Amino acid sequence: MKRTVDVNIPLGPIHPCFKEPARVKCETKGERVVAAEVELGYMKKGIERIMKGRPWQEVMFLAERVCGICSVIHNMVFIEALEQISGIAVPPRAAYLRVIANELDRMQSHLLANFSYCYTIEHETLAMYLLDCREKVMDALERLTGARVTCAYMIPGGVRCDIRAEDLRSLRESMDQIEKELHRYTGMFENGPMIALRSRGIGILTKEAAREAHVVGPTARASGIAEDRRMQHPTYTQLGFMPIVRPGCDNYARIMVRFDELFQSIRLIRACLDGLPKGIIRGGGVCKAGEIRYSGEAPRGELTYSITTDEVGRVAEIQIQTPSIMNIEACCHSMIIGADSIADVTATFVSADPCIACTER
Amino acid sequence: MTASLYWYLREFARIEWVRKFFFARTAPLVTPAYFRGFPEPTGKSCQHALFCMMVCPAPGAIDVVHEGDGWKPRIHKGHCIRCGLCVEACPNGILKSGRVLETMQAQGTALLVSFGIAIDRDLCTGCGNCVTACPVNKQIDAQIGAGGHSSNDEVIMRVDDGDVQVLHDEKCTGCKTCETSCPTRAIQIARILEGVQQPAAGEDP
Repeated sequence: MKRTVDVNIPLGPIHPCFKEPARVKCETKGERVVAAEVELGYMKKGIERIMKGRPWQEVMFLAERVCGICSVIHNMVFIEALEQISGIAVPPRAAYLRVIANELDRMQSHLLANFSYCYTIEHETLAMYLLDCREKVMDALERLTGARVTCAYMIPGGVRCDIRAEDLRSLRESMDQIEKELHRYTGMFENGPMIALRSRGIGILTKEAAREAHVVGPTARASGIAEDRRMQHPTYTQLGFMPIVRPGCDNYARIMVRFDELFQSIRLIRACLDGLPKGIIRGGGVCKAGEIRYSGEAPRGELTYSITTDEVGRVAEIQIQTPSIMNIEACCHSMIIGADSIADVTATFVSADPCIACTER
Repeated sequence: MTASLYWYLREFARIEWVRKFFFARTAPLVTPAYFRGFPEPTGKSCQHALFCMMVCPAPGAIDVVHEGDGWKPRIHKGHCIRCGLCVEACPNGILKSGRVLETMQAQGTALLVSFGIAIDRDLCTGCGNCVTACPVNKQIDAQIGAGGHSSNDEVIMRVDDGDVQVLHDEKCTGCKTCETSCPTRAIQIARILEGVQQPAAGEDP
C-alpha cells in the first residue's frame, strides 16, 4: 500500500496568482490541507513613520500610497478624520462628489478582485472581460479627478475640482455601459458549471468562524454578517444605503457579493448624479489639534485611522488599521483548512481579496 | 482537396483581415486633456511667492531659480508626483497641469497658504539665532540684539526668559531662514493650507 507522506507545501511569496507577495504554508495530507499559515512581511514600507510630523497636504499623498488598489478610500478616511478633529463641515455637493469617487474606486477594486479570482480558477476569458470593464471605470475616475490611481481628490473642507457637465454625461453613459456588460459577466459567473465546480462549497467560512476572526468587508458579508461602515456614514445614509449580505459562506458567495456590490455602486453613483446638490465644493477650514479614531468602509472592509494632530495641524501620531489582516488570518485558520486540493488553496486565498500592501503598510 | 483549400482561403483570406494583418497599428498614445501631468509654465512671470515650494508634498520636486532678470519655477520630474498642488497654490497662475488651472479659474477655487511657527520647547536652547536671522524681524526692529532680545512687540518672535516666544506668526513669510539657522532643529515652519472657493458672482456652479 502506498503510504501518504505529510508534506509542507509553501505557496509564494512569488506566485502567478497572487497580486502581491505573501507566503502560504500548507501542511497537507495527500492533497488535503490540514493546517495553513500565512507569512507576511515582504513589502513593509513603514509609511506611518514617514507620515509623522507632516502637514495634511503631505500625509494625504502618503495615505493614498498605502495601497494602490483602494487609494481613494485611504484619502477619504484620512481627510474625514481630520475634518472631525477640526470641526470642518463639507459642502453637500462635495460630499456627493466624494461618494462618486469612492464608489468608482470600489468598483475598480472589486473588478480587480474578481478578475484575480477568475484568473486563479483559470477562467481567463471572464477575467480579461472584467479587466476590460475595469479600464472603463478607471477612465471615468480619471475624467473626474485627473488621475487613475492616486487621485488626491479630497482635501479638508471639500474636493479638488467639480465635475464638469460633459463628464456628468459621460459618467452616466459609462455607468449604463458597465452595467450592461456586468449583467453579462455576472450571468457567466453564476451559470458557469466549471466555475461552480471550483467555487461552490469551497473555502467555507461559517458565520461563527467569521465572527471569531473579526472578518470584515465582503468576506464578512458573504458569511451572512451585515456589517458595513458605510451604514454610519452620513452621506451614504442620505442615499439610503443598505449592505448586501449573502449566506453562502463559500468562494462563490464572496465573489457574488462583490458582483452585487458593483451593481450597488452603480446605483449609488446614479443616485448621487440625480441628487447632486448645487453649490460650492470647498468650504475652507484649517486643521486644528485633536485626537480621533475614525473608520470608513474600504473595498475590503473597515479601514480605521487613529490620528493625533498638533496645534498647527500636523500629524503627530498616526496608526492605520487596514481590513485585510483579519481576512488573511481567517483565510488560513478557517477557509483553507480542509481544502481538497492545493489548487483550491490559491483560489480561496484570492477570493478573500487579500491586500498585502495595505496589511503591511 | 481543392474545394477545401478554396473554402479555407475564402474563410481566412478576407480582405479586411489581410489588411489588418499587414497594417496593424496600436492605438495612438495620446495624453488625454484631463490627465494631470507634470506642471508646465504658462508663460506668466513668476512673482517669487514660493508657495509652490511650500505646498509641494514631494520634497525637492520644485524650486524657484533665477533666470535672467526674473524667477522661474523648475520641476524635477524624478521627484514630482503630479499632484497639482503647486498649480493650485500659485497666486499668479504661472503653472498649469492638465485641467487643474482651467477648472480652478472656472470654479474660483484656491489654496490659501499660511505659516505657523512650531517650537519644540524641549529642544530650544533660547540662543536667539532664529530671532536675529529672521528677515521680517530685521525689518520691524533693526535693533535686535545678538541674544534675540527685543523691546518691540511687533516682531514675529523674540527671546523672553531664556526661551523663544512667538508673538506674531501671521507675519511669517515662510522663508525658513530660522529653520536653517537653528542649531538644534527646535523651530519648524508649519505650512497651513486651506482650500477655499469663491464662485464668480452670478454664476451657477
